[in-house]
Amino acid sequence: MNKLLLVLALLISLPAAAKDDVLHLYNWNNYMSDETIKRFETFCKCKVKQTYYSDNDELLAKLQAGAKGYDVLVPTMSAVEALIKRNALLPLDHAQLPNLKNVMPVYANTPFDPDNKFSVPYAMSITLLGYNDQKLKELGVAVDSWATLFDPAILAKIKGKVTVLDSQRELIAAALKYQGYSVNETDEAKLKEARDIILKAKPYWAAFNASSYIKELTVGNIWLAHGYSNDMFQANTDAHAAKRPFSIVPALPKEGAVLALDAMVIHKSAPRPDLAHKFLNFMLDGKNAADLTNMIGSGNPNADALRYIKPEIKAIKAVFPDTETARKLEMIKDLNSKQLRYVTRMWTEIKLR
Amino acid sequence: MSAAWRASLQRFLITGPPLVYLLLFFGIPTLIMVLASLRLPGEFGGLAPLWETGPSGTELNLSLESYGRFFSDSLYAWLFFKSFLYALVTAVACLLLAYPLALLIARSPGKRRDLLVLLVILPFWSNFLIRVYAWMIILGPESVLTRTLNALLAGLGIAPVELLFTPFAVLVGLVYVHLPFMVLPLFANLEKHDPALLDAAQDLGARSWQRFWRVTFPLSLPGVLAGAALVFIPALGIFAIPDILGGTDSILIGNVIKQQFLDARDWPFGSVLSMVLTALAVAFAAAAAWVASRQRL
Repeated sequence: MNKLLLVLALLISLPAAAKDDVLHLYNWNNYMSDETIKRFETFCKCKVKQTYYSDNDELLAKLQAGAKGYDVLVPTMSAVEALIKRNALLPLDHAQLPNLKNVMPVYANTPFDPDNKFSVPYAMSITLLGYNDQKLKELGVAVDSWATLFDPAILAKIKGKVTVLDSQRELIAAALKYQGYSVNETDEAKLKEARDIILKAKPYWAAFNASSYIKELTVGNIWLAHGYSNDMFQANTDAHAAKRPFSIVPALPKEGAVLALDAMVIHKSAPRPDLAHKFLNFMLDGKNAADLTNMIGSGNPNADALRYIKPEIKAIKAVFPDTETARKLEMIKDLNSKQLRYVTRMWTEIKLR
Repeated sequence: MSAAWRASLQRFLITGPPLVYLLLFFGIPTLIMVLASLRLPGEFGGLAPLWETGPSGTELNLSLESYGRFFSDSLYAWLFFKSFLYALVTAVACLLLAYPLALLIARSPGKRRDLLVLLVILPFWSNFLIRVYAWMIILGPESVLTRTLNALLAGLGIAPVELLFTPFAVLVGLVYVHLPFMVLPLFANLEKHDPALLDAAQDLGARSWQRFWRVTFPLSLPGVLAGAALVFIPALGIFAIPDILGGTDSILIGNVIKQQFLDARDWPFGSVLSMVLTALAVAFAAAAAWVASRQRL
């Protein structure tokens, strides 16, 4: 009976075997331009089959449940670390990745994956504030600090026009940064301080929102949103396309913020590690690496890509910060289960009160 | 082959496949959840190994700890109570809206009745999320509805209101999504009523309200209960609608279960919450079935 179940489970979890040359890419939605894919398909004389996930936890949960058949994944560094610890990744063969030298030193060899044994940086976003320049100028609200999101005295002017990310780690990280702590603080007293800051500001916010704040900013329903730099770029592009009388401006708070670096990794059970290595090296080429930034305004960890990036995007300081500002950015680390349980309990309390 | 044997074979061929299906895809996952609720969370998500061999020998990694956490923290009881209230208000609102509609459909002539039933089913042809997103536009601060309402309120000297991202928006979404599940069983029941009963009641001097309250409504109770169960139980566990339409305080039990499995990667505690939810849903379904069976006597 057990064997029968095992066979059944295997049959269900294995997608169609790769008969032809197919690379299975499990990626964020809208995270690679069609031209890049086509260029690679011509280059390798193969097909790329993309499937999508919408957050790291979804990716981790799916792989944990035994999903197989993916060659390349694009997790954020904290999830890369979790995958390494679970022994779910294939060590990279650096001899097949000569373009690895293009990665800027600040983004290579991070504590999440020393010496880039498993991952190559692909793109990044910063969690910051995006605002409606017309409305906030009228009201005289400056956006240069997390105080705009957390200080009730400032929030009183924009009550009900603010959304924050529906993500426990991101929002608590912002409150911790506002207090001058690390985004990875696990001290319970400091976390409680962050919780109290959030609870005091919460009555002024319209919603916890991780999916529709781009649209709400674009149409002018929301004037200040806590969100990802890529999304603010999208909101601004949409607002201009719709000929709105305002822009959506990304603002990097002076206290620092969360940096999310997404990297490409090869899954341990990848059907085609050969194609996967080819793909990783291809994506490290400056021209291919620049495509995504030109498409969605993402930050770019590739030094060689800079010369291919549109000048108006390179000029956005919040996405391409100077070295001093960049030093205040922090990546979120994975918590152990006890810490995570504490934070989750706190988050449930925050949302229920 | 005896006739009795053949009859039982026939019965098995008809009822067997759905039973096997339920056993495989409802029974086994539920058992997995029961077991998961007793296990310990893994360090990086998932579950800790069931057996662990330490210096003191092999130990079985089972514990009631997650249940203990649930019962020692009033936060979760409050969450269930809040979800219960939302589901109850949804079921009552659906009933009040669906009853007249179902009555109208049941008493329409043949062709028009088919058309009306089709119209009730029509929303299912488009994706559930898209329909809920549409409510974001309808309830948004710049929408015609909100602006008209606020213009009317201003005329009465009342401050403007927000509709989107409020508990009201969540209830609107819940009622909208579940309404067909109330209309259809009610219609199926009302359609079968013998019109002669109402004629008889009228002949005996019952006014229209009495005819409804003493004849139609008692006869329709099984439909009411079926509809109430079909609305109440899914509404109790839903998470997409509060996520999309809710504000900063619209979290329900479904959201917390999702959060335990995804954000917190605490499968045992998520399983405990699911178990309690399942137990409550089964209890309500059993209560509805019991009341319905008593009505029939």
